[in-house]
Amino acid sequence: MLLRRFGITGTIFSFFFMVQEALVNQLSFPAGGFSILLILTLLWAALSTPEVAAVVGFGGGILLDLSPSTSGPLGHWTLILVFMSYAIAFFSYGDENMRGNPLSLILMITLAQVIVLFSYVVTGFLLGNVATSFSQTLITLLGSGIWTLVITPLMLPVVVWLHDLAFDSRMRI
Amino acid sequence: MRNGGENRGRLLLVILIVSSLFLITLDLRGVNVLDGLRNGTQTALSPFQRAGNVVLTPVKNFVNDITHLGRTRNQIEDLRKQNQKLREQLILRKNQDGEIEQLKSILDLAGTARFKIVSAKVISQGSSLAFTRTITIDSGSGNGIKKNMTVISGEGLVGVVKEVFTNSSIVMLATDPAFKVGVRIAGSQQIGILAGLGSSSANLQLLDNQTTIKVGDVLLARGSANAQPFVPGVPVGRVSSVSNAAGAVTQSATVKYFANFGALGVVSVVVKAPKADPRDALAPVAPVPTPIPTVTVFVTPSPSTSPSASSN
Repeated sequence: MLLRRFGITGTIFSFFFMVQEALVNQLSFPAGGFSILLILTLLWAALSTPEVAAVVGFGGGILLDLSPSTSGPLGHWTLILVFMSYAIAFFSYGDENMRGNPLSLILMITLAQVIVLFSYVVTGFLLGNVATSFSQTLITLLGSGIWTLVITPLMLPVVVWLHDLAFDSRMRI
Repeated sequence: MRNGGENRGRLLLVILIVSSLFLITLDLRGVNVLDGLRNGTQTALSPFQRAGNVVLTPVKNFVNDITHLGRTRNQIEDLRKQNQKLREQLILRKNQDGEIEQLKSILDLAGTARFKIVSAKVISQGSSLAFTRTITIDSGSGNGIKKNMTVISGEGLVGVVKEVFTNSSIVMLATDPAFKVGVRIAGSQQIGILAGLGSSSANLQLLDNQTTIKVGDVLLARGSANAQPFVPGVPVGRVSSVSNAAGAVTQSATVKYFANFGALGVVSVVVKAPKADPRDALAPVAPVPTPIPTVTVFVTPSPSTSPSASSN
């Protein structure tokens, strides 16, 4: 059962990773754009238990680390997403006001995405990555937040449906 | 039970965090396996990226066009203007090439005859509605042109200067119905009078009824006293048909002018003719028919083998 669940989840994540790399990354969106894999990971974590969310965060982080466009060390995204996915699931699990309300879910994912990016920049700076200018970082953080706010409502029904498919749950949002 | 589940969850979290830190450490220490993982991912993704690029190129172009709409429009406008300018230059160049070609042939003709000429551009074609055939050239008395001077092109006689102004002149073309010129047949030296018919052909009246003319004979200007209005030896035209009407006093023929009156770009006015008559030196060489090669095939019969020999 566990193998089937994580098999389906892995396939879905791999597919989104491929779409991100083959299609989304080809288009140059203003203000940094967005990552559907990152949104998927955070949404999936928000719909799961903290343990599953941590594993999902780990898997999503590994995929993001394997992305050819990533400049940081392998494990950088993984570390941040393990923390963030666990945190999202920890705060939202069992709280139907949070998980049952699409608006709060979208806002939470957007906020989490901005925090994840901010954490990535800060930890990247500590790990010796070349940091861009403060204004550019700010624009990217705000821009990606706006993009996430736009994209998450579009992805939410699909991700909920896929999550139900993988975990045989009957979630109603 | 609950505590056990929480502990298990925390343990899992710790394991995952430690694994992440382990990966970071390995990467920062430059372990080749991790580089291989990224390279492998890139290798696996590249076909999809190429396919994605093919699919998204029209979309990217469209977005790019939308983004740079104003700039693209200006660029198109600039290119359009540039294209128009280049087209005009090309037409001008073609025109100049044609004029140079015409001028070259005139200079060849004038050089052979040792004419002193003034070349001029045709700036206007007279309207045929006036029932005259004239052109206006951009040289006049200021360039030494006088009334009744011969006007030639590279092919031969064009006409005669009819009116002269300071900077322009009006030339009566040889096609004008009122145009008449004394001519002689190159070779036989028989003389006649050629009169314009209002078209590219003219009518020739021979003065001597004993002479015969034939199709293809070349006519040259006979020349006038003091070389005005006609200098001697200028090619005029070629006999295209001969009419032998019974009872006619003189022989007549239709002559096709050498000059192409429909494409006169540059002409020359002969301002001074040599004292010596060039005679037939300016007569164009008659076109030599291209010989059709005949192919002769020699067939040598091969020795045939007899059926009896082949059966053996």
